[in-house]
Amino acid sequence: MSRLGKIRHPPASSDDNNFKEALKQYENKQYKKSIKILDSVIKRNSNHAQSFTLKGLVLESSDLPEKDEAESYVQKGLKKNPKQPLACHIAGIYYRQVKNYAEASKWYQAALDNNSTNKGIWRDLSTMQSQIRDYKNLPKSRLEFLEEQSGYRCNWTGAALAHYLNGDYAAAEKVLTKIEDVIKGSLGESDMYEHSECHLLKNKIIADSGDYARALKDLDELVEGGEVRDGTALLEFRALYLEKLGRDQEASKIYRQLLKRNPDNVDYYHSLERTLGTLNKPAALRLALYEKLARFYPRSDPPKFIPLTFLKGDAFEKKLREYILGQLKRGVPATFVNVKPLYKRKSNIPVIFKIVNEFYNSEENSDPLIHTWTAYFLAQHYYRIHDYKNAIAIIDEAIHLTPTLVELYIVKARIYKRINQLEKASSIMEEARLMDLQDRFINYKSTKYFLRANNINAAVDTISLFTKNDETSNGVADLHTMQCIWFLTESADAYFRLYKSALQQIETVKKTPSETQAEELFNLNKDVVTYSGLALKRYGAVIETFGVYWDDQLDFHQYCLRKGTPRAYLDMLSWGDHVFHQPIYMKSLVGYSNVTFDILHNEEYFKEVLTARPVKKSKKEKKEEGKKRELLIKYARANVKDEDVLGETLVKKLVDMKNKDKLGELTKLITKSEYDLSIDSQILKFKLNFELKKFVLCLQSLNKIHAVNATHPSIGALYLKLHQELNDSNVQDAIKKILILGLTKNFGTLVKNENRELVIDELVKIYLKHDTFETGLYAIFANTVVACEKFTARLDAIQAALDPYESNYLEYYKL
Amino acid sequence: MAITIRLATIDDLQGMQNANLSNLPENYTFKYYLYHLLSWPQASFVATTTDPELLEQDETQVTDIKMDTQYVRSGEKIVGYVLGKMDDDPDSTDKETPHGHVTSLSVMRTYRRMGLADKLMRQCLFALCENYKAEYVSLHVRKSNRAALHLYKDTLKFEVLSIENSYYQDGEDAYYMKKNLKLDELLPSTFQKAQEEDDLESDLLEGIVVDGVSAL
Ligand SMILES: CC(C)(COP(=O)(O)OP(=O)(O)OC[C@H]1O[C@@H](n2cnc3c(N)ncnc32)[C@H](O)[C@@H]1OP(=O)(O)O)[C@@H](O)C(=O)NCCC(=O)NCCS
Repeated sequence: MSRLGKIRHPPASSDDNNFKEALKQYENKQYKKSIKILDSVIKRNSNHAQSFTLKGLVLESSDLPEKDEAESYVQKGLKKNPKQPLACHIAGIYYRQVKNYAEASKWYQAALDNNSTNKGIWRDLSTMQSQIRDYKNLPKSRLEFLEEQSGYRCNWTGAALAHYLNGDYAAAEKVLTKIEDVIKGSLGESDMYEHSECHLLKNKIIADSGDYARALKDLDELVEGGEVRDGTALLEFRALYLEKLGRDQEASKIYRQLLKRNPDNVDYYHSLERTLGTLNKPAALRLALYEKLARFYPRSDPPKFIPLTFLKGDAFEKKLREYILGQLKRGVPATFVNVKPLYKRKSNIPVIFKIVNEFYNSEENSDPLIHTWTAYFLAQHYYRIHDYKNAIAIIDEAIHLTPTLVELYIVKARIYKRINQLEKASSIMEEARLMDLQDRFINYKSTKYFLRANNINAAVDTISLFTKNDETSNGVADLHTMQCIWFLTESADAYFRLYKSALQQIETVKKTPSETQAEELFNLNKDVVTYSGLALKRYGAVIETFGVYWDDQLDFHQYCLRKGTPRAYLDMLSWGDHVFHQPIYMKSLVGYSNVTFDILHNEEYFKEVLTARPVKKSKKEKKEEGKKRELLIKYARANVKDEDVLGETLVKKLVDMKNKDKLGELTKLITKSEYDLSIDSQILKFKLNFELKKFVLCLQSLNKIHAVNATHPSIGALYLKLHQELNDSNVQDAIKKILILGLTKNFGTLVKNENRELVIDELVKIYLKHDTFETGLYAIFANTVVACEKFTARLDAIQAALDPYESNYLEYYKL
Repeated sequence: MAITIRLATIDDLQGMQNANLSNLPENYTFKYYLYHLLSWPQASFVATTTDPELLEQDETQVTDIKMDTQYVRSGEKIVGYVLGKMDDDPDSTDKETPHGHVTSLSVMRTYRRMGLADKLMRQCLFALCENYKAEYVSLHVRKSNRAALHLYKDTLKFEVLSIENSYYQDGEDAYYMKKNLKLDELLPSTFQKAQEEDDLESDLLEGIVVDGVSAL
């Protein structure tokens, strides 16, 4: 056949052949070539669905300029023929690649539903289902793939786990038993760890089904069989089952075996007491028990410490003296942190002080180092009881005695931080760092204290001594790559404070007219934008990092089955279920949301500043300004390629966006982290829905907060905010009715009370009761909802009661 | 001291990662930590604070988790960890003998010198041997790291096998150290050199009931 003929009359299958060729090119990462072939197919045959989807996938994988259009090609293909199995399969791969696992799952499923012959898709589908926790459909996928490849144990384990996750324990057990029978006698040494873990998995499943008697019997057989390696697990399981079956005495003996393995595990001691039935026995008996245990395990701490939690009077003092002096005389620096939990009982405090102070002043204490560590203890004692004057006096004594101990400076710096002398605190920490340049811990402390003092450049220079700085002039990029959460959150907070400080300074400058006022204001306004942008960037970086953590699970849905670690895999799933509910994540999300709301509520201001042209400037001034900016960028650059180092584009986008899109990003994030038991998550949801004027949803969140903590300080302010809507004529009557009904449930007669003063009195009394930082925050919030002298008076009282550091920190939220 | 030593779980990994970033220059992304625990779930341990409730306590027990990366649960702060593994390096010089490797060990400075690293390491060595049949364990340590050298050499009886030149990023040499493992010599409690041993059978409270109560 001539070449010409081929082009003029393409046989039906030639598109498919070309498609195959394009696929091959894609697999060899020849994206340009692949696209070229696909384009020719599409040109000839605009109904070749799979070529469209493949083009989308290739574009997404490439760096070609058309990359942005990737998804549109995928969707075009699916629209042309949503039942074409290859098109569906490729769409699945595409969505997996862009981390939209729900969509990926949908299209893998569609490929299989439309008779794709590629059975491997079942495995990919099960990965997606596991990632999105679609446990209802997971068993089918795992079982289909097991049928395909039943020669591998991992596929049996996968099927069993799928049943287990779907709540069908009996089916899970059956699968595990069956494979045990199949492989009996054919296992090599290298299979034995997996074998051991699978045995334990099955045993756990039996127990989780509630049948502890059978689980115990199974455990007996496992011990008999000698195939389980994890001796600790065998004992822990046994103790648990025995206790569940009411056989406490036997369980107590198992805990004694566990103590031999790990005499430093506090839980084992508590469990031992629980099963011995001594928890409610006289203190003297319990003490005698622990003294015996201390003889068995003389170098373990729990048998010495635990009695201090239940002894009283002379017995307490005697044992405490032994405990504290034993450590101080050995020069254990951590003696104070070891007894710190005892401060929760007030009557303990003078006893602790008496013992240590007497020792400090006694003849016995003549070794200068021991003397120093004792002073170090006392300084921490004073710090704990908020007596900063004495704390400083005695830590200075200690430093005078032994000026070379880094630990002393750490405590001294902490005291100065508490009294809000942040620069002084930071310079003390820096002094300590210079004494031990090799230790990263003190480097970390010094960095953190620089950040607390809003001295970002010094912080970055310091921490960069321990980071990889190959591609950039400092470690900021490396710290992002290495997911250094503490640094990211601390930097975010610092930028947040700088942003608020700029606002504060603007107020001051406005009040004092001067020649340079216009210019000062111009610069400060720019600072507001820069620092709010940078705060968004850093909080955003934490949010992104948690997204990476969540994605990190992906490979392990198959890996753990192969590696034979199904029990640890289950732990990973439970961890993953709550990644976005963690307080440290929530903190960044709250920070991110607060700045975003700030910007949206002051949109006009931000717009103005973003477009403002400077008052005329001399060449020198311009040069200086350029330098300042360069420096800012140098210390903020989070990755080499970042074109929006200062987050200016981020802010600009936010104010330029169409109204309905402004909250889109935030809505996604807040929805992802929604959790009934997290008050922070519900407050965010409340605030978001308030912006969206979805008041019934606000009510729901308020009720959820109430259910977790009926006197949470946020409740008063949120209640007021929502209650105000009852007077808004734009709100539909039907909605108002729901609100009144709903609010009455938790707030009773307050809802209909017209006397505002009385209502606020009541709210202050119930919700702003405690002198805590958090209560202070909500007093401020309440005052923004309804400006009222009662709130500010309460806030003043709270601030007066707080330590200077926290008290001052509240100032940032007043703006 | 209200500090407990226990097996590390997935929930602890973020705290371990952050402790590592605060203590050591050799850092890893989270996935590498996941890889450790999902490959060798029994090989890593943590030391954490606990917040025991006291008899007749005045302050209300805190139930919120502190917004700090070191915290795993309320009152539970990671203060030390050991990250252990089996050597699965395809380029390993010894593929015949199963052997363990300590990837990372550190204790927060304010909790150092009270035996935590020692205890963490002993748990790790025992577990590597029992679960994975490790016949020996190896590790790298900076030549200048006095504390760690003392711990490995004197306390744990590792031996120096070789010096690896410029092993670390900054050019410092490493000692490559090794310790042979025999399970019946590794039971952690035996290193306490106690005068008395629990026979695991006799009634713990026998005798105590009378003596104990009358003694006070
Ligand atoms: C090395 C490190 C883990 C030790 O932790 P630790 O909990 O303080 O150690 P321990 O209290 O268990 O001490 C174990 C032994 O080492 C000794 N030791 C601890 N710190 C020491 C020091 N600074 N100098 C000399 N010896 C020291 C102890 O006296 C003890 O010896 P002993 O058994 O003879 O009594 C800790 O210093 C650390 O985290 N350093 C930074 C990170 C690091 O270097 N990790 C090791 C990387 S390989």
